[in-house]
Amino acid sequence: MLNQGHGAKVKKLILTLSIVISSTYSQTALEIVKKSEDLHYAKSSYLEMTMTIIKPTWQRKFGMKVWALEPDYVLVYVTEPARDKGTVTLKRKNEIWNWLPTVQKTIKIPPSMMNQSWMGSDFTNDDLVRSSSYVNDYEHKIVGEEKIDNFLCYKIESIPKPEAGIVWGKVISYIAKGSYIHLKTEFYDEENNLVKIFVGSQIKEMDGRLIPAHWEMIPLDKEGNKTIIEYQKIKFNIEVDKSFFSQQNMTRVK
Amino acid sequence: MKLYVKLAWRNLWRNKRRTILAFSSVFFAMLLALITESFQHGQHDIMIDGAVRMYTGYIQIHGIGYWDERSLEKSIEADSVFISSIENIEHVEVAVPRLENFMLVSSKEITKVGSVVCIDPEKENSMTRLKNKLVAGRYLNDSDNGILISEGLARMLNVSTGDTVVLYGQGIYGVTAATLVPIVGILKFALPDLNNTFMYMSLSYGQELFSMQGKLTTISVMINDPRKLDKVYETIKAIAKGKYEVMRWEDMMPELVQGILLDNVGGRIMIGILYLIIAFGIFGTVMMMTVERTREFGILISIGMRKSVLILVTTIEAIFISFLGAMSGLIASIPIIIYFKRNPIEFTGKLAEASLKFGVEPVLPFSTDVSIFIAQTLVVLAIALFSALYPVNFIRKLHPIKAMRA
Repeated sequence: MLNQGHGAKVKKLILTLSIVISSTYSQTALEIVKKSEDLHYAKSSYLEMTMTIIKPTWQRKFGMKVWALEPDYVLVYVTEPARDKGTVTLKRKNEIWNWLPTVQKTIKIPPSMMNQSWMGSDFTNDDLVRSSSYVNDYEHKIVGEEKIDNFLCYKIESIPKPEAGIVWGKVISYIAKGSYIHLKTEFYDEENNLVKIFVGSQIKEMDGRLIPAHWEMIPLDKEGNKTIIEYQKIKFNIEVDKSFFSQQNMTRVK
Repeated sequence: MKLYVKLAWRNLWRNKRRTILAFSSVFFAMLLALITESFQHGQHDIMIDGAVRMYTGYIQIHGIGYWDERSLEKSIEADSVFISSIENIEHVEVAVPRLENFMLVSSKEITKVGSVVCIDPEKENSMTRLKNKLVAGRYLNDSDNGILISEGLARMLNVSTGDTVVLYGQGIYGVTAATLVPIVGILKFALPDLNNTFMYMSLSYGQELFSMQGKLTTISVMINDPRKLDKVYETIKAIAKGKYEVMRWEDMMPELVQGILLDNVGGRIMIGILYLIIAFGIFGTVMMMTVERTREFGILISIGMRKSVLILVTTIEAIFISFLGAMSGLIASIPIIIYFKRNPIEFTGKLAEASLKFGVEPVLPFSTDVSIFIAQTLVVLAIALFSALYPVNFIRKLHPIKAMRA
């Protein structure tokens, strides 16, 4: 009787141990995605960057300052070119507002424009609104390993949850083992065609974190088009609160 | 031969009532067929004209690849020499320059997506009769700094003339285009697609706004005779020398082509039934006439007339009647058709409203296209001459003794 009880306890212990061990040695896809997101984002951040829009016959470069408070608030201030200086994009929850300094007016981007390009780039307004819900809006699964730029990466397939209302059929992410740097993302449509890829490179230490400072968004259906984002300066966990992301403040930020 | 013709001619007038009966069956057949066809073609033309006049024009010229991408980078130079060389082509009514773009239009809290068309106000009016669509305010002038806004869009934005709206979008090479602009007039379009999205501004204002001085996205060409479309199209293509994209309305509005094809099928069935009635009418008359002359034929053969000669004479008679009937039907129809072309029948009520909705005037015009007259004459003649085969067969089988007793 006593022996029996002892045996059961041992079994339970072994079982518990084995669960602990297996979870430390092989992380779930969700954990990897979450760790990677923690690396690239913070509760709040400030970013100075340039965005270069490349089209087959022309290109155009913007300078921008970006303030973000996850998950709902982003404010983008355009610093150059001179013609567009002072233009502000404000994302609040699912809404996008624009401040147009030339006419001193604020306009709200209508829902029908959500899939349209943001400032002529290969990013859509929707990309701007959705960027932060990546972890929770998808079911993640490790489907393999692949080497990208000398980094051995987890290859993670993310299928959108039905209720998330996401336009992609699936998304494949390449996240470096150990450092959790998100090096490449492939976006597939519902017919499983690769539509665009988002690639990070030039890994640098920025505000104490090793992250890519150069990003390219390459749409595959439009030859010769791409959008390059280069980080100049990042500060994580800055002092900023919700009131900063207001329509009034759009007209004041610099 | 001359004798036979004379004989046939005399035969015709020997029994005037019979001849007139046969003649009038061909005559009325011709008249009916012509009026029906002329009416249907007229209908068809006014549908196309109305639809293309509304916005697209019969032919459009763009930069290569513009139609698919609609990007301002595929714009063309506003080359006045090129435009006037197009206007000098025979049958071209006007070549209308345009700069088209999509923009957000915003008033206070409300923002909508709209289509901005930058125009040469007078030329645009001569094609689309835009002035007639004004329901408030005034029309644009060449260097106007205001906009005309469609009535539906104005309602959604809750604005009227005198108010200002914000226009926000992109010009060429991704430059930001933003402006605060007063509404000078409101336009009401019958078609909801236009009425809920369209805005018009002067070409000079738009070119400045989109940083596109001296540039256009579209030249829309209106012609005065739809039947010369292909000829004008080829001529423009030759002038464009592959530097531009030239498109016909059929290429730009395939759904309209399908609508017209469907309408045409209905018309074909109608005319088919008409031909059937005509054929029975003529054939019945000919049969009656032939049977009536059985005794005469019997006697003629008995006194030594060869059957072949008799067949020849009756055939000549049939040709006489067919031609006379067809020609007089043709001549009689001309004043009627011309009258209705000049004074088209107007219709009113629900049907008129539906018609106006598609930008088509509520009138039933007639077409005076020569091809209709030729085609109908040939068809009626063919039916008449085919009917003439009946007496041929009848005489061939005729037994003179039996015939004389008939």
